[in-house]
Amino acid sequence: MSEIHIEIDNVNAYYNGNHALKNISVKIQKKQITAIIGPSGCGKSTLLKCMNRLIDLTDGVTYSGKILIDNEDIFARKTDIVNIRKKMGLLAQKPIPLPMSIYENIAYGPKIHGTKKKSDLDAIVEKYLKLVGLWEEVKGRLNSPASQLSLGQQQRLCLARGLAVEPEIILCDEPTSALDPVSSQHIEQQLLKLKKDYTIVIVTHNIHQAMRLADYVIHLYLGELVEHGLANEVFENPKEERTRAYINGIFSPDLKIDSEENLKGKMCPYNFVYAKQALHNLEDGKILKIIVDDPLAVTEVPRGMEADGHKVLIVKQINKKDWEIVIQK
Amino acid sequence: MELRRVEESIFKILMILSLVIVMGSLLGVIGTILLKGLPALNIDMLTKTAQGGYYLGKGGGILNAIIGSAYLAIGGTVLAFFLSIGIAFYLQKEYSGGTRLSNLTRLCLDILWGTPSIVYGAFGFTVLMFFHMRASLLAGIIVLALLELPIMTRAMEEVIKTVPQELKEVSYSLGATRLETTLSVVSKQALPGLLTGVLIAFGRGIGDAASILFTAGYTDRIPTSLFDATASLPLAIFFQLSSPLPQVQQKAYASAVILLMVILAISITTRLLSRKYNKYIIK
Repeated sequence: MSEIHIEIDNVNAYYNGNHALKNISVKIQKKQITAIIGPSGCGKSTLLKCMNRLIDLTDGVTYSGKILIDNEDIFARKTDIVNIRKKMGLLAQKPIPLPMSIYENIAYGPKIHGTKKKSDLDAIVEKYLKLVGLWEEVKGRLNSPASQLSLGQQQRLCLARGLAVEPEIILCDEPTSALDPVSSQHIEQQLLKLKKDYTIVIVTHNIHQAMRLADYVIHLYLGELVEHGLANEVFENPKEERTRAYINGIFSPDLKIDSEENLKGKMCPYNFVYAKQALHNLEDGKILKIIVDDPLAVTEVPRGMEADGHKVLIVKQINKKDWEIVIQK
Repeated sequence: MELRRVEESIFKILMILSLVIVMGSLLGVIGTILLKGLPALNIDMLTKTAQGGYYLGKGGGILNAIIGSAYLAIGGTVLAFFLSIGIAFYLQKEYSGGTRLSNLTRLCLDILWGTPSIVYGAFGFTVLMFFHMRASLLAGIIVLALLELPIMTRAMEEVIKTVPQELKEVSYSLGATRLETTLSVVSKQALPGLLTGVLIAFGRGIGDAASILFTAGYTDRIPTSLFDATASLPLAIFFQLSSPLPQVQQKAYASAVILLMVILAISITTRLLSRKYNKYIIK
C-alpha cells in the first residue's frame, strides 16, 4: 500500500536569486492522491514543475537536490528527460489543447512515442476519450478543431491526452481553477477514479478540493515544507501552527454571525442577489451567514462575493444538500 | 462642448483623413492602371510571347514575362522559405536564447531589409561577372531569394514568438523533443502567420524590377532551363513604358493589370488558406 513513487530529497530552487523552494524533502506514495496546498506564491507549482523538469524552460531558474522517480534521479545529467516526462501526464491550470483536431490531440503523444498504425491510434483515441467520459460527446466530430470544445470538455481532452502516453503519474496544477463547477466536479470524479492506476499529485489552492480528493497533503508556505502527512490527520489535527492557521483561515470555528439568511430553494443567480442585498444592509466588517442548496451557488456565490471585495470566511457542507457560506463584508 | 470631446473628434477626423489618403491613392493607382490597361488587354497578351522585340514590338503578348515572373518569384520564395524558416526558428529563445549571435543575425536582417533592391542586383551582377556567367533564371531566383529573405524571416520570427509558452510545455510534458514540438505544435499554431509572411515576401519578390534587371536579364522567349535569361512582368512594364511607340506603352499598362491580378490572386488564396488553418489555433 505505502509504496514510495516519488522521493523528493532536499530540493532547492531559485528564481533569479529568489529562494523559491527551501530544502524540500518529502515522499509521495504510489497510487494515492497527494495534494500540495498553500497560499499563492508558496512554491506549489514550482515543486510540480521540478517533478517533470518543465522548470528547465523557465528563465533564470537554478535548482539542486534530488528527485527520485522509481529510484531514478531525474535531476541527474545522464537522465533522459523525454522518458521522464513520458511517465508523467500534466493537467495544467487552464485547458490547453494542441492546435489540431480532437483526434490528433490524443494521438499526438502515442505517435511521437512510436505508434504508427492507424488502427492502433484509433483504438487509443477511443479508449482514452471513453475513460474521461468525452467519447459520447465528440465521437461524431473527431476531426474538428479541439479549440471548438467547451472549456470543461477541453480540460477532459487534456486529461485524456496526458493519459494516452500511458504515464504512471498525473501531475495537476490547479486543474479546475478555470472551469465551471459542473466541469470541475467532473474532473474531480475522474481523478478519484484514476487513483486506482495512477499516482496523482495535485496542486490546489482550493482547500475543499484537497479535502475531497487527497489521501496525503503537503503544506508549503513561502517555499518551506510546513507539514505533510495523511490528509485527515493534517486537516483534522494539524501538528504545525501555520497549517492550523492556513486551514482555519478558511474554517474559523467560532465566528460571531451578525446576520443570517436562508436561501434554500433559491436558484442561481437569485441566491447571489439576495446575499448581496443582505450584505448591503450590514456595516463593514460584519459577518453574514447564508445557507444554500443549489450546487452552483457553492462555488459561484463565494467567487462573486470575493469579486465584490467581500471576504469569504467559510464554505462548508452542513448536511447532504445544504451548504453554509460565511461572508465578511 | 467639452474640450475632451473636441480632442476626441479631432483625432477621429485625423484618422479618417489618413484613411482617405491611403485608400484614395490605392484606388487612384488601380484606377489609372485599369483605365489605361484594360483596352490594351486581350487574349494575345496572355497567350503569346513578345513579337518584334520587347522594346518596339507591337505584336504578340507578354506570356514570356508572365511565365518568367512566375518562375522567378516562386523559385525565389521557395528558396527564401527554406532559409528563413530555419533562421526564424533559430532566433527563438529555445534555440539561441538571446545570444549575441542571434542579436547580430537580427541586425543583419534589418539592414538587408532596408537595402535598396538595385544594390542586390548590382551585387548579383558582380558575382555573375566574377564567374564569367550570363544573366540567368537561376541568378534571378537567388537574388530574389536574398531580397525576400529578411522580410520573410522577420515576419516569421515575430509570428513564432507569439506561440504561447504553455503550448510548448504541453508538448514537452507529453515527452516530445524540441524538434517534434517545433515541427508539429509550434509550426501548426503559427501556420496562418507563416503563410502571411510568405505572401508578403512573395509580393515583394514578384513586383521587384531592379534586382533582376542585371541578374535575370530580359528576353522574348520563355526560358527552358535555369541558365537561360528570362523576362519578367515588372521589367516588361519598364521596357514597354520606355518605348517611344504609344501602342507599346499601352501594353505596359495591360502588363501592370496582369501583375496586379497575379498579386490579388495570391493574396486571396493565402487568406483562404490561413482561414482554413486559423480555426485550429489555440487562443
